Order: sequence, then structure tokens, then C-alpha cells
Amino acid sequence: MFKVLKTLCIGALTVSAAATAAHAEWPKDRPIEIVVAFAPGGSTDVMARAMQPFLEKELGAKTVIVNKPGASGEIAYTYLSQAKPDGYTFSFINTPGYLSMQVQRKLRYDPKSIQAVARIVDDPTAYVVKADSPIKSLKDLIAQAKAKPGSVSVGTSGVGTDDHLAMILLEQAAGVTLTHVPFPGAGETRTALLGGHITTGGLNVSEFAGGDLSTIRPLVTFGDKRSPEAPDVPTAKEEGFEVFMSSERGLAARRDIPADIRAKFSEAVKRVVESPEFKEEAKKLALPLAYLSGEEWEQQMPKRLQSFQDIWNKTPWVQ
Amino acid sequence: MEFFDSLILGFSTAVTPTNLLFCLIGALLGTLIGVLPGIGPTATLAILLPITFFLPPLAALIMLAGIFYGAQYGGSTTAILVNLPGEASSVVTAIDGYQMAKQGRAGAALAIAALGSFFAGTVSTIGLAVAGPTLAGFALSFGPAEYFSLTIFGLLCATILASGSVIKAIGMIGIGLLLGWVGTDVNSGSERLTFGAVELFDGIEFVVIAVGLFGIAEIIVNLETPESRGLIATKITSLWPTRDDFRKAWPAVLRGTGLGTFLGILPGGGATLSAFSAYTLEKKVSRNPKEFGRGAIQGVAGPEAANNAGAQSSFIPLLTLGIPSNAVMAMLLGAMTIHGITPGPSVMHNQPDLFWGLIASMWIGNLMLLVINLPLIGLWVKLLTVPYRLLYPAILVFCCVGVYSVSNRAFDVALAVGFGFLGYLFRKAKCEPGPLLLGFVLGPLLETNLRRAMLISQGSPSVFIERPISLALLIASAALFVLLLVPAIRKTREEAFVEEEA
Amino acid sequence: MANRSELGRKGNKPDLLAGLIFIVIGALGLWAGRDLRMGNAAMMGPGYLPLIVSALILLIGLGVTIMGLMSSSEPIGVIRLRPLLIILLAVAGFAYAAGSLGFIIAAAWLIGIGSLADPETRLREIAASIVVLTIFGILVFIVGLGVQMPLGPF
Repeated sequence: MFKVLKTLCIGALTVSAAATAAHAEWPKDRPIEIVVAFAPGGSTDVMARAMQPFLEKELGAKTVIVNKPGASGEIAYTYLSQAKPDGYTFSFINTPGYLSMQVQRKLRYDPKSIQAVARIVDDPTAYVVKADSPIKSLKDLIAQAKAKPGSVSVGTSGVGTDDHLAMILLEQAAGVTLTHVPFPGAGETRTALLGGHITTGGLNVSEFAGGDLSTIRPLVTFGDKRSPEAPDVPTAKEEGFEVFMSSERGLAARRDIPADIRAKFSEAVKRVVESPEFKEEAKKLALPLAYLSGEEWEQQMPKRLQSFQDIWNKTPWVQ
Repeated sequence: MEFFDSLILGFSTAVTPTNLLFCLIGALLGTLIGVLPGIGPTATLAILLPITFFLPPLAALIMLAGIFYGAQYGGSTTAILVNLPGEASSVVTAIDGYQMAKQGRAGAALAIAALGSFFAGTVSTIGLAVAGPTLAGFALSFGPAEYFSLTIFGLLCATILASGSVIKAIGMIGIGLLLGWVGTDVNSGSERLTFGAVELFDGIEFVVIAVGLFGIAEIIVNLETPESRGLIATKITSLWPTRDDFRKAWPAVLRGTGLGTFLGILPGGGATLSAFSAYTLEKKVSRNPKEFGRGAIQGVAGPEAANNAGAQSSFIPLLTLGIPSNAVMAMLLGAMTIHGITPGPSVMHNQPDLFWGLIASMWIGNLMLLVINLPLIGLWVKLLTVPYRLLYPAILVFCCVGVYSVSNRAFDVALAVGFGFLGYLFRKAKCEPGPLLLGFVLGPLLETNLRRAMLISQGSPSVFIERPISLALLIASAALFVLLLVPAIRKTREEAFVEEEA
Repeated sequence: MANRSELGRKGNKPDLLAGLIFIVIGALGLWAGRDLRMGNAAMMGPGYLPLIVSALILLIGLGVTIMGLMSSSEPIGVIRLRPLLIILLAVAGFAYAAGSLGFIIAAAWLIGIGSLADPETRLREIAASIVVLTIFGILVFIVGLGVQMPLGPF
């Protein structure tokens, strides 16, 4: 009996000692893995690599960026959900993809096993036209779609992306039918737009703000207020259409990692986002920084998820 | 006059010691990753991108651009030496280049590839400098209808790639198309032909198929027939092309350069198509097309020139319109934005030193590549004298790491095993894998553009003949189809006669 | 080979194999795409082109098979199982080991087992290959080019 008790005690001591040791050492003893759900060179990857040195300084630890591209993020999120809950694996997550995939298909991981840690960027969706297009405003666009149904073609960077979801919401809000022309990415959309092959194209504010505006003209953004990066562009709400859409990027980890590690990491991200050096870097990349703590970000998600579920129930975008 | 001023400005910015150094580093690194199959320029650029934060903008761009076109040079090396194309454009180089290597003429093939590439690089760099903005306008006139007609033309070219049976080549193209459609359908967002494997949702990577069908299958077949192995080493003749080689190669280089410069401008698939169409062109204008597939030097010279010209002119849409035409250009666009440069029509006026400096550096980089690569030929050819039993494990390592590194997952390596087995079966069935790869590359282009064109025209197929460029391409395709049928009919008739006599 | 005399006269073996491959792949394509929406020419569904092309491959397979049966005999060439099985096994082992056990073990397996495919290989050479190529791989791929693969199982 005594022996058993002794073993138990020692066992418990070792476990707790190990646990505190892990907490105390974090994040010094080995590199923190930061998963990017997209291939090298994508905008999320570029952002991650731009942040890396700043984040390492704030954490006082080494980080490794690991690209796990595929299935619009599902492969990376599955990987994250299977990682050890020790605070050494974080992953970038992107909305609306992270949320809309929960609506549109059965996933290989349990979305509840992942928790947001910090939001970094909130990049409003926008529609742009060619610089010499006769369409001057969102109202013009809707008027044309009403006059000649099907004649307005909207280029997006794919099915279920923020540009596409914004289009569906706009169709419902304005009672029009638009022709959806999906492209594999923003570059292709822009090319088709410049060649005059589509009427309007969906881009994010960061994809045109600060860029060359001699060939394209932003029509409208779907932010809840005017974007500081593009202050001259009206929002859809100003034009009378209650459509909000943006693409957010941030970091997430397993829900069951130690709470203090999560808090420390979130704080470090916050300090990075607020540091003038990183702000300078972000300005070059036209990143609309918008830090939110994991808790604040998570609070917004159910509402957006519900709105996607509503769209899906009415018009499933994947057929 | 203004043009010469610009050129002088460009060269004076490009020849500073720092810029020359980074040009050299880029070219060397590019050659290295080009030679290693599977490790593509995209991944390398991504890794180096953060380093360029600390460099002056022009030096950073010069280095990154150097990696890209250096990789084009290096890519042909493994295709010729060990029949392992690292990317779509070197698939064609492998067809005749590897046959030349087997005949002991690897040196000649490599030298012609390097010289042809240099010439093409020079011409298309000048083209970029002189007519960049005008050409970019041409690229924009390519809408979905034009791309569809262009891919139809490309698919017909693919049947000409095969030196054997045309019907089998069409079957192989069909398999390639199917493989290209595996994954998430861009138009509807639904996943298809994936057998439920989430790893396949984004489709199959080119490198996986190329390494399986070419790399792994080639090793197995070589080991199966020991008598065919030692031959390469014993037969090596000269390292340099003969006078006859040059006579045959230079018109091919000229034609390839022209094709590549034009097709390279087209965003998405242009550069790849250029190598394939150059091969088709050479085989069609040749007096004895039977040489092709058996070590015709034109089959190396034309596509290599076209490939490199295409690589250079794919900078045109990026620099003049701010449109990245492929993944590498997208990385460069990222690098530019990091340095606060916005590529587009205004960059030429606002930052002429940067624009012209980059262009001048490209020519310098091409020259450096020639100087680096020509002496290396001796070394590469020596590599073939290494006994095959020591060489093939090394090739296996390169193949496996290359495949793994594309998406950092073992699944792709396992998939390559499957393609290796399939490639082995294809060899036994006398089916050539080249057309399959072209079908694979063109499949998604064909489908998305067909569907896109029909969406925009709201279901009216007349869009393909109403648009002049599309119509011209379709007429060219029809002509090519007739050309294709004539010899096939003649051949079957000849065979019929032979059988009757026997 | 007992059937050589019977089948020897007619039957182009490579063509018959090609026909079989085409038929299998075409059928596989049709089966995998059986649930995909066809749509129509104006609004093509995801299944439109894949199903058409699968059917085409199947037909070509049948055609090649028939032509192969009718044309004069041609053998399939040597088939040796040793290199085929060993190479495929070596690469498959690498695939299995790369993710979990790391580069060193995966590469050692690939080179060691892969080398056995050639009967001429000597043991000492295999050992040397393993050491040299693994170190080369670590330096060039993992360290130099930053390939994201763990080195060992830790």
C-alpha cells in the first residue's frame, strides 16, 4: 500500500515538475513551428515570412515556417489539430475560407479542436473595374445587371472565396443575377479585367491599395467602414447595400494548449503588430493590420459562420 | 536615341560590383536548383525572399530574376543527361536530348542548349526593352476564347511529340487531361476524381508525374537491360557540337526564339507551350522527321531557345502591367512590393534606373550563365562515366527529395511510386509519356477557358470564331490536323501494301 | 512458354498492353466521375469534359486492343522483377519514413535498398553511397535549400 502511494506521489511529482518545466522553458528549448496553409510565395506566406524576424524577437525564440498547402487550408488545419498540445505548433488561418469550409463539406478535423490566438489583418473585399469602364459606382453596376440580366460578369479568385461570397450576398441584397467567372487567383482576375474580358473583378484592398491605379479603378469595398488604405473608395453600405465581407488572417493553435502560453503568444503578436518597424514593413506590403486577441476574434466567428450557413442553405455555392 | 540612353542607363546601373555579384549569385543558385530535379525556383525564391529585405531593391530583384532564368538553363541539364525533366518546358528537351546522350553526344546537346538559350535570351531581352509595352497589350487581348483555341492547337502539337503510333499518343493525351482535372474544379468548387483523398484536392503536382513517369521508370528500365547501361560512357565522342550540328541547329534556334518571345508574353502556360510548339515546328519543317525522337539536334535547339526566350519575355507582363504570369513572377511581384516598388505602366517612367537596370542585368546574367555552363559541360559528361550502379541511387535521392519538397509531404512521394509503376507499364506498352505530360499541363487551361468563354458569352459558341485571334488559331489547328492525317493515311496505306506483297 | 506457338503468330503484345491500360484508366475515370454533374454545353458541370474524355480513352483502348490482336506478333521485351520491385519498394519506404522518421533514416533506406536493385553492387559501395549521399543531402537540401523535412525521429 505504502509502496503504491509512494509510486503515485513520485509519479505525480514528476508529471507536475515536467509540466512546470515545459511551461518555464517555453519557448526557449526548441523552435516553434508556424504552419502556413498555402504554398511559398502566396500572400499569407509572404506575410508570415515578413513577420517572422519580428515575432522571433518578441518571443525570444526561434520559429520555423512550414508550408502545408492543399485543400484550401484543410491539410494544414488537420495537421494542426493533430499536433501535440504543447504550444510549439501554431498555424495561420484565413477567413472566410476557414469558416466557409465548415459549412460546405465534411472536414477531416474537428473545427472545435482549433482556437484562434490572434487576428493580424482584416482585409476588406473590394470590386474593381477597368480604368476606362463606363461603370462609375456600385449603383451603376447593379443598374446594368437589372437592365440586362446576366450581362455583368464578376471575376473572383475562386468558388467560396470572399469575393464570391460577397457576390452572392450582393445578388440577394440587390435582387439581381450576376455571372460568376471564377479564376485561380487575383493575378488572373486582374489580367482578365485589364483585357476587358470581365465587367468587374473581386480583389482585396491590399491587392490594389498603394499599387498602380492607372489601369484599374476601385468601385466599392465591402468593409463596415472606409478602409484607411483606400479612403476614397465608398463602402457598399454607403451605396445602400448591406453587404459586408473581408478576408481576415491570423494565428490559431489547438484549443487545449496551456492558457498562459496562448496568452504570451497572443501578446507577442500584439507587440509585433504595434511596433513601428513592422508597421513600416506592413505598409510596403499594403497589409491592413487589425489586431484582435484570440477571444475577441472568436466572438465574431459564430455570427459569420451562421451567415455563411444561411447563404449555403439558400444557394449552395458548391454544386 | 532615347532607347540608347535608356540602355546606357541600364548598363551603368547593372555593372556596379554589388549588382554584378548578386547577378552571379542568382545565376549560380539558379543553375544549381535547375540541375536538381524537383526543387523548383518558386520554393527557392520563397526561402530567399526574407533575405532580400536587407538588400538594395535592385540587387534583390537582380538576384531573384537570376535564379529564375538560371533554373531554366540548369533544367535542361538533367533532362539531357538522365532523362529527368524538372519542369514542363524541359519535357521536350528530354525527348531528343537524352537520345543524344545515349549516343555519346551529351556534350553537343548541352552545348547547343546553352548557346541556343543564350542567343534566345539576348534576343528576347532586346525585345523586352524595345517593345515590352506594345507586346503586353497583345497579351491582354487573349481572353478565354483565345486561350481555348491556343490549347486546342497545343494539344494537336502534343500528338506530334510522339514518334510512334498517333492513336496511342491521343490516348496518352487523354490520360494527361484526366490527370490534370484531378482536384477541385475551379468553376464549381466541387472536388472530382480524387477518390476522396484530401491530398488530391489541389490536383497532382507536375513534378510528381514527371519524376514517376520519367525518373523512376527510366531507372527501372535501365536496370532491367544491363547491356544498355555501360554504353554511354564508352561512346562519348566530342564535347563540342560538330560543324554539321551547328548548320542544323541555328535555324531551329532562330525559329524557337521567335516563337518563345511571343508565346512567353501570354500569362499562364505561354512559356510551357512555347517549347512544345517549337518542337512541333522543327519536326514539321524538317526534311527527315524520322530523326526526331532518335537524337535530332534541332529537337534540342528549337525548344531550348523557345523555352529561354519565353522565360525572359514572361517578365513583360509583370514589368509593364504588374501582372504575374506564373508562380515565379508572383514571387517577384511580392519582392517588388516589399521594396516599395509597384510594377505597372508607371515604373518605366518613375524608376527608369530600376527598370532598365533589371533588363540590362538579365542580359549580363545570360552571359554569365553561358560562361558558367560551357566549362561545366565537361564535368556533366564526366558524371555519365560514373558507373550506373553508383549513379542511380543518387538520382533516386534527388527525385524523392524533390517530390517531397513541392508540398512538404510524403503523400506525393508515394504517388510518385504509383506513377513510376505506370511509367514502367507505358514503356512496356510502347506508349510515350511526353504527350501525357502536355495533356496534363494543358487540361486545366483547356477546360477552364472553354467554360469561362461559354459563361461570358452566355452559352454562345460563336465566340470562338467571332474573335479574330481565336479564329486564326482554330484555322491553324485545322491545318495542323490535316498535316497530321496525311502521313498517317499514307503510312497505313504503305503498310497495307507491304502486307499484301508478303 | 506453352502459349508462344498459339499466340505467337498474331497479337502485338505492347499494343495489347496499351489497350488494356487505356481501357482500365478510361473505366476508372468513368467510375470516379459517375456522380459528377454533366451540365450542358452552355453551363458545363464538373463532369462534362472528364466523362467525355474517359469514354474516349476507353474507346481508344478498345481500338488499340483490336488492332493489336490483328497485327503481326511482337514480343513485350524483357521483364525482370528484381529492379522493378526493389526500386518501387525503396521509394515507397522513403515516402513512409520521410514524414515520421526523418531524412537520415529515409535516405539511408532509399539508397541502401535501392542499390540492391543492381546485382553488380558491392556491399562496401552501398555503405559508402549511404554515407556520402546522406551527408550531401543534409547539406544541400535541408541546410542549403531549406527543404522542410525533419532530420531524425525527434
